[in-house]
Amino acid sequence: MISRLVDGVPRRALILLGLFLALLLVAPLLVDGYILSILILVLYFAYTGQAWNVMMGFAGQLSLGHSLYVGVAAYTAAALYVHFGIGPWAGVWLAILISVACGLFIGFLAFRFGISGVYFALLTIAFAEFTRVGFDHFDWVNGSGGFFLPVTQYSVNDPLNLRGAPVMFYYILLAITVLAFLFCRWLLTGRIGYYWLAIREEPEAAQTLGINVFRYKMIAVAISAGMTALSGVFFAFYYNNLFPEQIFSMSRSIELILGPIIGGIGSLFGPILGAVVLTVLAESVTEIMHALGYDIPGIKQVFYGLCLLVVIIYLPNGIWPPLRKRLGLGDHS
Amino acid sequence: MTTKITRRQFAAGTAASAALLAGSAPFNIVRAQPKALKIGSIHPRSGYQAQLGLACQRGIDIAPRVLKQLGMNAEVEIMSADTESNVDIARSRAEKLINDGAQVLIGAFDSGQSAAIAQVAEQKGVPYIVNVAAAPQITEQGYKFVFRNFPTAPMLVGDGLNLMKGVFEKSGITPKTAVFMHCNDTFGQSMAGAIKAMAPRFNLPFQIVETISYDPQAKDLSVEVAKAKATGAEMVMPVTRLNDAILIVREMIKQRWEPKIIMSPGAPGFYEGQFYKTLGKFSNGMITNVPWYNPRSSITQKLLDEFTKAYKNEMFELNVGFSFEAVMVAVDAFNRAKTANGKELADAIRQTKIENHVMAGGTLEFDAKGQNVNIRSVTLQNLDQRPKVVLPLEIAEDNLALPLQSWSKR
Repeated sequence: MISRLVDGVPRRALILLGLFLALLLVAPLLVDGYILSILILVLYFAYTGQAWNVMMGFAGQLSLGHSLYVGVAAYTAAALYVHFGIGPWAGVWLAILISVACGLFIGFLAFRFGISGVYFALLTIAFAEFTRVGFDHFDWVNGSGGFFLPVTQYSVNDPLNLRGAPVMFYYILLAITVLAFLFCRWLLTGRIGYYWLAIREEPEAAQTLGINVFRYKMIAVAISAGMTALSGVFFAFYYNNLFPEQIFSMSRSIELILGPIIGGIGSLFGPILGAVVLTVLAESVTEIMHALGYDIPGIKQVFYGLCLLVVIIYLPNGIWPPLRKRLGLGDHS
Repeated sequence: MTTKITRRQFAAGTAASAALLAGSAPFNIVRAQPKALKIGSIHPRSGYQAQLGLACQRGIDIAPRVLKQLGMNAEVEIMSADTESNVDIARSRAEKLINDGAQVLIGAFDSGQSAAIAQVAEQKGVPYIVNVAAAPQITEQGYKFVFRNFPTAPMLVGDGLNLMKGVFEKSGITPKTAVFMHCNDTFGQSMAGAIKAMAPRFNLPFQIVETISYDPQAKDLSVEVAKAKATGAEMVMPVTRLNDAILIVREMIKQRWEPKIIMSPGAPGFYEGQFYKTLGKFSNGMITNVPWYNPRSSITQKLLDEFTKAYKNEMFELNVGFSFEAVMVAVDAFNRAKTANGKELADAIRQTKIENHVMAGGTLEFDAKGQNVNIRSVTLQNLDQRPKVVLPLEIAEDNLALPLQSWSKR
């Protein structure tokens, strides 16, 4: 198992990865609450970006409605916790199951009836949107008035119920991000990864070669939806309030995919790098402006726009592939 | 060519790097207590809520100099942060403000963002005054450092419905039928749900003959208005945003529909500057029941003067008023506590008792949960192309003018 994960990976890449992981492990000891909250955002976007990447980067299916899986899972786990006292680690399974079912339903509709490309993307948006409208009227979770989880004090960390200080959330998120990274590496280096690659590059040719395109697309959707669901559960228990307008919004879906697009779609490290660039650099831009005496609301959005512009024009494959070459890390990350 | 490394080598490398980085941790730095009260103002100043977040910010920015004129002489430093209309960012920005030394937080216009900030404030022991956000749950969590000087959603709807009876009594016009028109965004749906649930308790004299919901982004509401007109209702009860409020009134004029009363139970739209600019004389007559500033208060007059000087093209409205009052509460508590220590400042805020203030209602004070339960909505009517308080009578600026004047006779 481990040999499959590291097989063919240059020693330098593993050392750099180890250093990066070490840095993330000790980061809470080095930083204050603000930087820690930024690091949580980085990990959150890295993880959800990785989840989206399975569908788009690996299997070539563009989803612009991933907020659906975040929202459905967040509401499921939160409602189970509030109404029945079921903890998040038990509730997460139902949350994942429901999200996967939603993904499979959308996937079935699309792939069975030959909907692909832009039309598939529109279908994903449509589902996210009407789910938002549905939740606006879903009284069991307080509809548009917002669903609140009871907040307890931070004196004791209770990882079983996901109640505690931000540092606890940080390490939990770090763990699932690392596991997601390893899982995606395992997927990519296996048969399924090669099938997805074939489907992404040339679905007709893949079909001709005997790959069950429908089946493997559905698997990609299911895995991506399931992984994204986990981030929704995290969101619910970290922020402790859910509003349909916020969690199912189109802008959240876009936010989730910006990281992998800027970092490098289809690469393993792209979503992580993208999340770092977007979150850390964007925050830095705001801080630099503050330090220079300028208070410019929205400067971050301008920075996002510029990043996208530069990436689209000069680095169409994202930042990571050329950087990987420059660092001499081969073609495996 | 690639070289394989063993698990042991990888683990050893990771551990060594971790130890090296941990050893370089900076020493904790003890900060000196600043003389001024540092207030962290945290609002959505970009994103879809920017316009309203900026209105709140104006109330905060103008507060220190008005408070000085009122003899509240504490030095105040305003530190501002933008939530980008996003709950994730709100939380990290609250952390940032506290890290930078904010001793009180004020914000955040939106309930989700306010709830996220409240968790940080509670964790860090920094008092947080919610200036605008209506979700009741924010003050139901047992927080010790969170205070709200804004009505909860049930308070808003309850006041809005209750004031209707006052309008009927004062005008002598009691409609038998009403049509309820509401935008179908989160706010509109939430209001519609609350009205449906609470209306029976208020024994309202009219019957809602039709409920019409619509998309607030719609460019044309002619069908909706025609449908409403067809009911023959004597009163229109709209829950709108700005653009749809303008569209509805335009259509009513076009379709020559003249109900006796147009009265919102509590929503933006009718009292916004752009409504008057766009509709001119046709903006007159609409009624809104909403929390508003007390025009008879001497503090309001001072604040209004300063606001008009500072922001010639902006309108003074409830977001400005509540934001100003939040600063007032913080400064008042700081002056009494004579310290910016979180716990002592929170205790002082809990003891707040401000009789003379800006917004309509009773004494500005907080209950055990940190909620000001004395805020009261007023009845605003558009008269002379601006919103004027017409009820309650003790703070009224003008007389209620009903029935609605015919469009053709304006």
